[in-house]
Amino acid sequence: MDKPWKREPKLIGQLWAVVRYELLWNIRKKKFIGVLIVAFAITTLNLTLPVILRRTYNMPIEANPDYVISNSGIGGLMLFLFALVTVMNSISGEFEGGTIVPLLTKPVSRTLILIGKIVAAFITIFAAYLLLYAYMIVGGTLIYGSQNNLNLTPLCILGDLLSTFVWVSIILALGSLTKNTILTSVIAIMVFLAMNIGSSIISVFTESAWMLHYLPGNGAAGYIKVVGQPMVYAGSISTGTDNITKMIIQYCLHPSVNVTYVKVEWRGGTPQGGLSSLLKELYSEPLSLVLFRAISVAAAYIIALITLAWYVFKRTQILE
Amino acid sequence: MDLAIETIDLTKKYGSLVAVNRLNLRVIKGTIHGFLGPNGAGKTTTIKILVGLLKPDGGRAIVLGEEVHGDNPRARLKIGYMPELPKFPRHLKGWELLDIYGQMYGMPLQERRARIKRLMEVVGLKGRENDLIGEYSKGMQQRLGIAQALLSEPELVILDEPSLGLDPVGMVEVREMIREIAKDGVTIFLSSHLLSEVEQVCTHISIIHRGICLAEGPLKDIISKISGTAILEVEVAETPDKIVEAVKRLPFVSNIHVEGSKVMIETNADGDVRPQISRAIIETGGTIIYMNVKMRSLEEAFMRLIMKSG
Repeated sequence: MDKPWKREPKLIGQLWAVVRYELLWNIRKKKFIGVLIVAFAITTLNLTLPVILRRTYNMPIEANPDYVISNSGIGGLMLFLFALVTVMNSISGEFEGGTIVPLLTKPVSRTLILIGKIVAAFITIFAAYLLLYAYMIVGGTLIYGSQNNLNLTPLCILGDLLSTFVWVSIILALGSLTKNTILTSVIAIMVFLAMNIGSSIISVFTESAWMLHYLPGNGAAGYIKVVGQPMVYAGSISTGTDNITKMIIQYCLHPSVNVTYVKVEWRGGTPQGGLSSLLKELYSEPLSLVLFRAISVAAAYIIALITLAWYVFKRTQILE
Repeated sequence: MDLAIETIDLTKKYGSLVAVNRLNLRVIKGTIHGFLGPNGAGKTTTIKILVGLLKPDGGRAIVLGEEVHGDNPRARLKIGYMPELPKFPRHLKGWELLDIYGQMYGMPLQERRARIKRLMEVVGLKGRENDLIGEYSKGMQQRLGIAQALLSEPELVILDEPSLGLDPVGMVEVREMIREIAKDGVTIFLSSHLLSEVEQVCTHISIIHRGICLAEGPLKDIISKISGTAILEVEVAETPDKIVEAVKRLPFVSNIHVEGSKVMIETNADGDVRPQISRAIIETGGTIIYMNVKMRSLEEAFMRLIMKSG
């Protein structure tokens, strides 16, 4: 009667069981499949639209060895949508559907169940990003010729995963607290919109852009400025947790640049000297510091919010 | 006495409502133990504490020697639990769900595949194991609930209303299944509203009301303790007045009433009292046409106990 596996089931086997349980759910979710299709459609459009336009106007298609690297980094909205559709009902859906009862009465701790769900979310999103990057690299190479800096792709995927997991942890914590999928989704969308709209306003019109470094989302807008050169902007960059990949690429390509923050100062009348005369330079800091801070902030959010989700999930009693 | 379940002053409150009130429950290993009570008596709350879904506010619960306190997976290792109207993830196929649950118990692959195949046959889901659970009817989900409760060959099976949602054939099959499982020495803790079901399969029962255990023990002992052992129905040829007087004098007769030519005699004796009653009737010159022992039903005992406790 007393079989060896009954005395001490292997933890790794139990974890894999939870991961399988969740993975099968993730890949069969219509919403997830929908977002994946949209992501592929956007990538396809990004790849082919310039070609279509050039063909339409009988212009030659020029080789672009930086196509992949300059288009790397999944956009803020897509990051958020991937996080939302993957984990919006990971916890709350179990409570709403009543499936939490048979799950929690198996000999698996609640901590392991939450870890399994997070691992499954990681695998799901990682696989989706891997497919997207592979598609972009193959498509980019076929259309625009041989590509430079493809060795940065693993770092790009890692950066995108880190950015996505900030939203994953926010949504998991909300799901654990509310146990209601609709409420979780609505609050998450509101937070996302507030962070994006709010950060644009704060970043452009106030001198408080520094606070955006510590909030999830788009962050503060800054200009990349070559050190030692006066007001020559080499491009723009956003510093938030959604833009870690872009910052990683910039840092790998130009490790010693600074990020300069500016605000728009409207003085009335027609601006003398063009739009750049409206910009007031606030302060600069090295890109390495901006990147390090963004990664640290993302990690801090992930750790804090997953701990909150775990604490609430662990203590929840099943009344219904 | 080896106990599968023991609760000591177990208490659970929902705000000001005391759902389980210092409950002392003892379920002997190897028995089929019925857990009875009217709606809101605290049955499901007690079961939820036993399987770790709820935390008690006081007292202790010990399941197969493991103290149940909060999230203790070890305590659930040897338990199979089927919740009332179980719900399973609709996106999984029947066999996938059982395979994943089996993996959670640590069952090796070969063993769980063989067990799933066998269980699907037993619960009548053979041929539907590759369908998504979302396509299952309520009755089929109920059957899947029984299968997952038996999956790990548990030492204790807790069934919360296993017949709910099943058709009459399914109900009979469940009863047969319970008897079959018990033959292997598995303890079954069965919560049910169907008193006839409990009466047919259980060896022991506990009756709770307002979170308090009103009676506990072997089924027959409980019935006789609450309602007396039996009613003797005797049909006589003559007017039964004289007979009633004679029978009333017998020391084990607790009550007697007449329905036409039938005399209903309630007794509180442990053994068979038909010879003494026959003799008493014949001595008065009466003629017995028909005599039948009507055992007290669980339903009667249950109702008496609940009414008595208010």
